[in-house]
Amino acid sequence: MTSLTAYIVRRLLLLVLVVLGVTVLIFAITMLFPAEIRAYMYIRNVEQARPEAIPRVIQIYGLNDPFYVQYGRWLGNLLQGNLGWSYTSSQSVVEAISSRWVYTFQIVMFAAPIIIFVGIYLGVQSAIHRNGLIDHICRVLSIIGWSLPSFWLGLILISVFSGQLRWVSIGPLSQEGINHVANTALFTRYTGVSVFDGILNAITRADISQLGITLDALAHVVLPVIVIVTIDVALLIRVMRSSMLEALNKQYITTAKAKGLSKNVVIYKHARRNALIPVATLSGMLVAGLLGGLVITETVFAYGGLGAWAARAALSTDITAVLGYAILTAVIFVIANLIVDILYAYIDPRIRLD
Amino acid sequence: MRPRVKEWKFMLMRIRQNSLALAGLVIILAFVCIAVLAPVLAPPNPADAFKIPRDMEINVLTPNPTPPTMRHIFGTTDQQYDLYYACIWGTITAFRTGLTVVGVSLIIGLLMGTVAAYYGGLLDEALMRFTDIIIAFPGLVLAMALVIAFPATVPINISMIALIIFILAMLMLLAFHPSRKLLLVVWGLLLLSILSMFYFPVSFQIPLSRLDKVLIAITLVGWPGYTRVIRGEVLRVKNEDFVEASKASGSSDFGIVVRHIWPNTVYPLLIVATLDIGSIVLSAAALSFLGIGASPDYADWGQIIQRSSPWINRPTELVANFHTFVIPGIFITLFVMGWNLLGDALRDVLDPTLRRR
Amino acid sequence: MSLKTLVEVKNLEVNFYTYAGIVEALDGVNIFLREGEILGLVGETGSGKSVTSLSVMMLVPPPGRIEGGSILLETGNDKQDVLLMDDSALRSMRGNEISMIFQEPRAYLNPVYTVEDQIGEVMLVHRKPELLKNAVATLEKNNKRRTFEANNYRRMLKAPRSLATRFLQRFGSKKTLKAEVRKEVVKVLKSVEIPDPERVAGMYPHELSGGMAQRVVIAMALACNPKVLIADEPTTNLDVTVQAQILNLVRLLKKDFNSSILYITHDLGVVAQLCDRVAVMYAGNVVETADVFEIFSNPLHPYTRALLESIPRPGKGFKSIPGIVPSLINPISGCRFRDRCSYALEICQKVKPPFVELKKDHFAACYLHGGSR
Repeated sequence: MTSLTAYIVRRLLLLVLVVLGVTVLIFAITMLFPAEIRAYMYIRNVEQARPEAIPRVIQIYGLNDPFYVQYGRWLGNLLQGNLGWSYTSSQSVVEAISSRWVYTFQIVMFAAPIIIFVGIYLGVQSAIHRNGLIDHICRVLSIIGWSLPSFWLGLILISVFSGQLRWVSIGPLSQEGINHVANTALFTRYTGVSVFDGILNAITRADISQLGITLDALAHVVLPVIVIVTIDVALLIRVMRSSMLEALNKQYITTAKAKGLSKNVVIYKHARRNALIPVATLSGMLVAGLLGGLVITETVFAYGGLGAWAARAALSTDITAVLGYAILTAVIFVIANLIVDILYAYIDPRIRLD
Repeated sequence: MRPRVKEWKFMLMRIRQNSLALAGLVIILAFVCIAVLAPVLAPPNPADAFKIPRDMEINVLTPNPTPPTMRHIFGTTDQQYDLYYACIWGTITAFRTGLTVVGVSLIIGLLMGTVAAYYGGLLDEALMRFTDIIIAFPGLVLAMALVIAFPATVPINISMIALIIFILAMLMLLAFHPSRKLLLVVWGLLLLSILSMFYFPVSFQIPLSRLDKVLIAITLVGWPGYTRVIRGEVLRVKNEDFVEASKASGSSDFGIVVRHIWPNTVYPLLIVATLDIGSIVLSAAALSFLGIGASPDYADWGQIIQRSSPWINRPTELVANFHTFVIPGIFITLFVMGWNLLGDALRDVLDPTLRRR
Repeated sequence: MSLKTLVEVKNLEVNFYTYAGIVEALDGVNIFLREGEILGLVGETGSGKSVTSLSVMMLVPPPGRIEGGSILLETGNDKQDVLLMDDSALRSMRGNEISMIFQEPRAYLNPVYTVEDQIGEVMLVHRKPELLKNAVATLEKNNKRRTFEANNYRRMLKAPRSLATRFLQRFGSKKTLKAEVRKEVVKVLKSVEIPDPERVAGMYPHELSGGMAQRVVIAMALACNPKVLIADEPTTNLDVTVQAQILNLVRLLKKDFNSSILYITHDLGVVAQLCDRVAVMYAGNVVETADVFEIFSNPLHPYTRALLESIPRPGKGFKSIPGIVPSLINPISGCRFRDRCSYALEICQKVKPPFVELKKDHFAACYLHGGSR
């Protein structure tokens, strides 16, 4: 077994441990609620529920059993793929997640690369031209961007572009777009991601006008992406900048210069490669954290993704939904952590001997 | 001049030279003035200072927001809540949010991180795994759960508090005069305080507003950041020669930590704390905006913006009433920006590679 | 027999602009390095040895700035002033005509690239035509005359800057070129007596021991056969036994390749073992330069004398130089050693003594031996 493989295996085992720990903790939180409230998790039609039926529900589902019994039961269900019923969305939690994740994905698939590439580029440039114009501009924009409340930026963008200029509406597609996509005679939802589906439909139906869906989706994803990027790119620029400055101060840069290498080679081949190492870890965590930030952005833009669903569930005390969302975020987070650690070991040869 | 004084003077000089840092300080001081002068700037609501007053006279005519006028300097929002009052008293809320959450998180993180790094081994592994679990935790869930599940009041035992304060004082003393007797006294007092909890009945209940519960929630998920930072620093310093020397001369562990390790490791924590104040206020505002934060008429910036959220579906109304969210938003942005500027400047000033070039 | 002077540093002045003030690090430094000799540059920490050597390569980092003087490099027929060279001339000189090695070899190697990558890199910068020719020759020998790869190499030889060349060279494999580079890398690793050079070539810097890493750094410096090698305290951080090996290696370089080496150190023992001539620096000036035997037996400058006397010898008591090195910010007038010199004259307070040839091939800056005028 190579050292890299051993490292991966070790991290995987830790991953399982951490995920289990999170589930215990999350479950413990839900146990803070009295049994009466938890009974509602098992009722499909909350409006028509009769208060007298609650004690029966408690009895059937063993809601007063000891902690570890209930946890065991819940974990068992979880492993079988049963996450319960979400009454705010009138679907099982698993259905709710699988129908909504495509919208979240549509935002992330644009936001993540933009944040990473723009952040790295501007960070490197700021470091190279330290205290130059681009450094100052980036710094000021970073600080402003990092200080903006995401929902506020969203509100401003909506009032300008949607209210005043009337260029786009709120939501993943315009009303015509939604109608078109829902019409199975005219449109097939191959992936659920409208940007791709438009292209795919254009190809399979030999109909260029289907691209209109792609354009529509793109127009509606611009504003949420702007909000997310503005706020998160700031952090990446700062970290990349300081990492690059540190790398440029290292002794091997003197050696590189003493070898007669051109400035570009010294900066990009030698310094940047080293500077990217800590940034890679941060980028991974940043992307994983996007999911959290999206809760607000999706709510503001009524985007109908996982974030909006979780926010509404939280407000209406839909415990199963919130629980499901919590598990999902935790798992994504931990997996992202793992990927980042592996990437780190791959990029930096020094780590593998750990 | 004593070396530490000289170092502080050098840092202050660097801060003064940095115009962004000055800008940050000016902004924060301006907000401090607003917070301190709040009762003067916006006469408090007789019922509860943090309840935003509604103009019932205009409300009879229309519940719709009114633009800024002489009567309401920033205008009013839906149901005629006065924006000016909300913004002014919201400043106090913001400070309270930022400082308490960061303060408590800092202490928890400091203690956990130091203990984990200093003693190492299994304790370190265990504490770090626990920290990892907390980091993976979605804060939203916790906030919601605590807001609803937590009781409205928390019991506090006066004698317990008094004893805890006394114990801390003794621990400080212990740091400078390590002696077994003193250690025994401290442990004895600790035991006494735990026992007293059973003998002395609960003294009084502290009411927890919804905002308080949210703050507790944020604190409970916020401390891991500090833990990791301080752990890294302590690990770095732990094996330095001066620590070895101190051990060799018989200092207690606690003494070494307080006198040698902490003075060399807390600076990055200060930077994180300063930046965190801003980001905590943003998180709290976001939670309020979603409706899980402060109660509906509480003087909180995020909360007052929440009243504008119904118009998202009707963007033209949003434009028409833009003052209802733009103005409080400016308060939030400037407040956070002040702390960010300061934290950023501190990061530059405390950068070890630039120290006294 | 007078030998050619390869590097001549004349009146070099370097200032550092710091928060605390302007540090006059070098105040008229004069050094000359002759062909085939090892010149030892001795001095305490802060005397300006490293700054001098970095200046020769124009690598003085900010806030340092070269304020005056000239550094003449012997290139073929005439002399060129390094301080007046443009960027591309400097780059073609560095690693090629003059190479430099430093203390702490593992810190001076890039941790994410292998030994082969880093040594190969400098070869590709300065010896590319030669390597390309060899690659083409190898391909022709293996009957791959007309392949895309071979044509790529030919294009790179003939017209390296043309758009077509630069575009096309992205496609097609460069296997043969890489193999050529590898061959040369292994060759140079062998020449610095590294055991199992093929394996070492594929290693990362953190996998090397201190002595091995220093050999790799030396190999990298020698990869393009430079005329001059500057070594800035290369053995200071190594074990004594490893140090002895490296010193042997340096001696070998001089013997086999007739290298000219500027060897910086604060260890007089190393100087005695290794160097042909010695230059002594103090507080930003060269105070004495002479042949090594001459300087040990007949030191002219009081500082050199005090330095030699302070070498601990069994049986004799410790003798240190009273006082401390003066601050280089707002430096004192006259000779910078005057406050610690037991022979100080009145003129020493006012005018700095010029660096002149007081005896045959023995230079010093001191009024004691008639250095006035």
